[in-house]
Amino acid sequence: MIGILVDVTRCTGCNECVEACAQAHQFGEARHQPQEVGDGLSAVRWSAIVSSPEGQPVRKFCRHCVEPACVSVCPVGAMLKTEAGPVVYDPNKCMGCRYCMMACPYGIPRYEWDSAVPLVQKCNLCAERLDQGLLPVCVETCPEQALIFGERDELLALAHQRIAEAPGRYLDQVVGESEAGGSSVLYLSNVPLDFLNFSRAPGDAPFPDLSWNWLGKVPGISLATAGLMTGLFWIIGRRMQVEEARLAHPGGKEA
Amino acid sequence: MGDRTLNRGKDILWAVSIAGLAAGVLRFGLGLGAASGLNDASPWGLWIAFKLGFVALSGGGFTLAAMVYIFHLETYRPILRRAILLALLGYGSFIVSLLFDLGLPWHIYMPILNWQHHSVMFEIAWCVLLYFSVLIMEFGPVILEYPWFRGPFFQHIYHFLKWATVPLVILGIVLSTLHQSSLGALFLIMPHRVHTLWYSAWIPVMFFVSAIGAGMLALIVEGFIAQRLFGRGLKLDLLQRLGKIASFVLLLYLGLRLGDLTVRGVLPVSIDGSWQSMLFLGEVLLGGILPVILLLIPQVRAKPAGLLSAALLGAAGIVSQRMSLSLFTMWRPETAPYTPSGLEILIAFAIPAAAGLIYLLFTENLAVLEQELPVRQPDPYARPVFEPDSLVYQDTHWNGQLARRAGIGVLALALLAAVLPAQVVTGEAMPPVPVRAAQGWEMLLIDGDADGQAVQFPHAAHQARLSAEVGEAAACQTCHHLDRPVDVNSGCWECHGDYYQPSSIFDHTQHTALLGGNAACGECHAGEHRAATAVACETCHAQMIAPSGEDNFSYWAINYQDALHENCQSCHEQQAELQGTPELGQCGACHLGQLENQNLVLRGWGTP
Repeated sequence: MIGILVDVTRCTGCNECVEACAQAHQFGEARHQPQEVGDGLSAVRWSAIVSSPEGQPVRKFCRHCVEPACVSVCPVGAMLKTEAGPVVYDPNKCMGCRYCMMACPYGIPRYEWDSAVPLVQKCNLCAERLDQGLLPVCVETCPEQALIFGERDELLALAHQRIAEAPGRYLDQVVGESEAGGSSVLYLSNVPLDFLNFSRAPGDAPFPDLSWNWLGKVPGISLATAGLMTGLFWIIGRRMQVEEARLAHPGGKEA
Repeated sequence: MGDRTLNRGKDILWAVSIAGLAAGVLRFGLGLGAASGLNDASPWGLWIAFKLGFVALSGGGFTLAAMVYIFHLETYRPILRRAILLALLGYGSFIVSLLFDLGLPWHIYMPILNWQHHSVMFEIAWCVLLYFSVLIMEFGPVILEYPWFRGPFFQHIYHFLKWATVPLVILGIVLSTLHQSSLGALFLIMPHRVHTLWYSAWIPVMFFVSAIGAGMLALIVEGFIAQRLFGRGLKLDLLQRLGKIASFVLLLYLGLRLGDLTVRGVLPVSIDGSWQSMLFLGEVLLGGILPVILLLIPQVRAKPAGLLSAALLGAAGIVSQRMSLSLFTMWRPETAPYTPSGLEILIAFAIPAAAGLIYLLFTENLAVLEQELPVRQPDPYARPVFEPDSLVYQDTHWNGQLARRAGIGVLALALLAAVLPAQVVTGEAMPPVPVRAAQGWEMLLIDGDADGQAVQFPHAAHQARLSAEVGEAAACQTCHHLDRPVDVNSGCWECHGDYYQPSSIFDHTQHTALLGGNAACGECHAGEHRAATAVACETCHAQMIAPSGEDNFSYWAINYQDALHENCQSCHEQQAELQGTPELGQCGACHLGQLENQNLVLRGWGTP
């Protein structure tokens, strides 16, 4: 599974990756819709440079989780975690319920609020470029080598190696290694990245488990309910018949 | 009571439905973003919360079916049909609301083609689809009893449905158990959105139990409404017994909620004084414990008023839990706060209003309230037909109600069109309105939006008066910023370039060019090249008046209209008070209306 390692300490916030992304996907100018949240992400901006509380520029974009909440909640399979790693979106299946937007612990997916045929928009890790053997356009563009593309395992190893080599430069943590079950996008940072979460740290358990804890019980519950109801219907009905017969023929044998 | 209330009720439902229909057309024409207040931080809103409420109040359908058919509690059969009808309308409202809420509603069949067993919403989609079909089949015999359906074809269907009742009921109970609970399970994956007082691993169970309770309480309320509208059909003794059962269900639901909070150790949060804790306490005390107590006291239950208010409180408490969970506690003032739009609210209420009309249609024509078909009431608005041959009025027109309702519909549409902002009707963003510069010198003709409604501004007179008061130099600066390089008299329009919208006033290209191209980034930017590293404008332009505000400088000039109003009004209002001339502070002091011949005015330069 491939991924991107973001070395936050190298990011100067030059915005080149954001512009290159917008250009590669032909988004045009940012629109500043009233529905936008203000972090720079929108239906026409799949990534944005946000500022940490300390003033450090940090690139915000889809984490491409190993077990993505958006994929698990989608009732039609419009969101898909591909074998290669990117979480991609199929507009031909989407019915626009926006459950993916609600479920994402990082608040990444955005909606085309100004369209009468609105689609969900989020980074696809340049899946179409990967198919052609190209790098994601942001990785290719970054002038500071703050974005590193590679196999997730190798990126993790590289991240830990960098921490070991320069312990003072980084916090001893690779964000994305375990958060919400881990993600294809990893962050090496000198500042805490909690501000990237929607509202609170997601924890290490994969998000789909939260639903599955319930959904896994559904087949059992349906069978149990059906059995219980059929049984009750029959037993109560039978006992009432018996009781009626006993009342109709006191002392006699049951009907 | 009776007819009058019924017809007023119908008028209101009709007006809301028709206005809602128009709002629905607008929603699809304009798209979700323009018609609703939803945004990227709150992609779910009022419609979702209402949907959860509809389904809760429909819980009576499977509850009563279970009581009558499974538990053989024949006592409750007289209110079974209305329970099924309420459920049918509740789920109908759910599905119609869903069509408005979905971004691409024409893809609503997609869950049937793409099975996603790991999605709670996929499970709900299937259950609701199937259960709605079951409800139609459960209610089918009631419709087929209508005289229109006497034919053998319909009679076959009728007998089949009657024969299939028990399997259908069992299927309905299974489907209801699943999706009533799963509606709560939708929120399990949102610990980052739902407030801790509402988020629980037990939400599905709470939703299931509360749906049983809410369904029973809704039936009690419906009994009183039907009695008020039709003057018949109140099965008070049955509803009292139902109320008693509902109180135990409510008690179980309350136990689950409070027990869960205790186990999770967040009970203290409910008394921390935040608005969420107040909402929670209101829900539990007024919408939970109070109705339970009321319903448990036989004397209270025996009184219609007591039973009704307890039922209303309890149902409101359950609906409130669902709305809090899905709407209120998700409100995020720190990012993009969600406020439902007018169209959104209208559609949310119009759907149950239309369901109310269908309820009345069915109860007036089908054997719902009683065992036998109701007698059709004559149309109170029917007008007599004049019979020319006999010269007398005979019979009545069939179209009395229809004419009245059509009139009400037109009024509702007119009212809607009147209150909608023009942008909603046209769906267009406001076009730029470039400001036309003021004309003249001693007497300025200010008509920024060039609509002919100019303001005559005696510039020379103002200048002379101010110069006498504060001196020549300060006089100009009273109104003009004089903050551009070599600025002696720049006009308002030069920066406030659009009549209604803010204009960007920092010209990056020009600065780059003046400072010598790309080599000069360092002159303004410390380190990387982005807005945050740029130096403040007054570092170089010391003569500029730095605009106040936290970010030291904003690149935006407010719109022309506001700029001029602020500039003139502040002084005018002050002078109006000082000089005791209130008319000086009024709109009419400057806005003199349409000017017939602007050239004539311009020729009169110098007149104060």
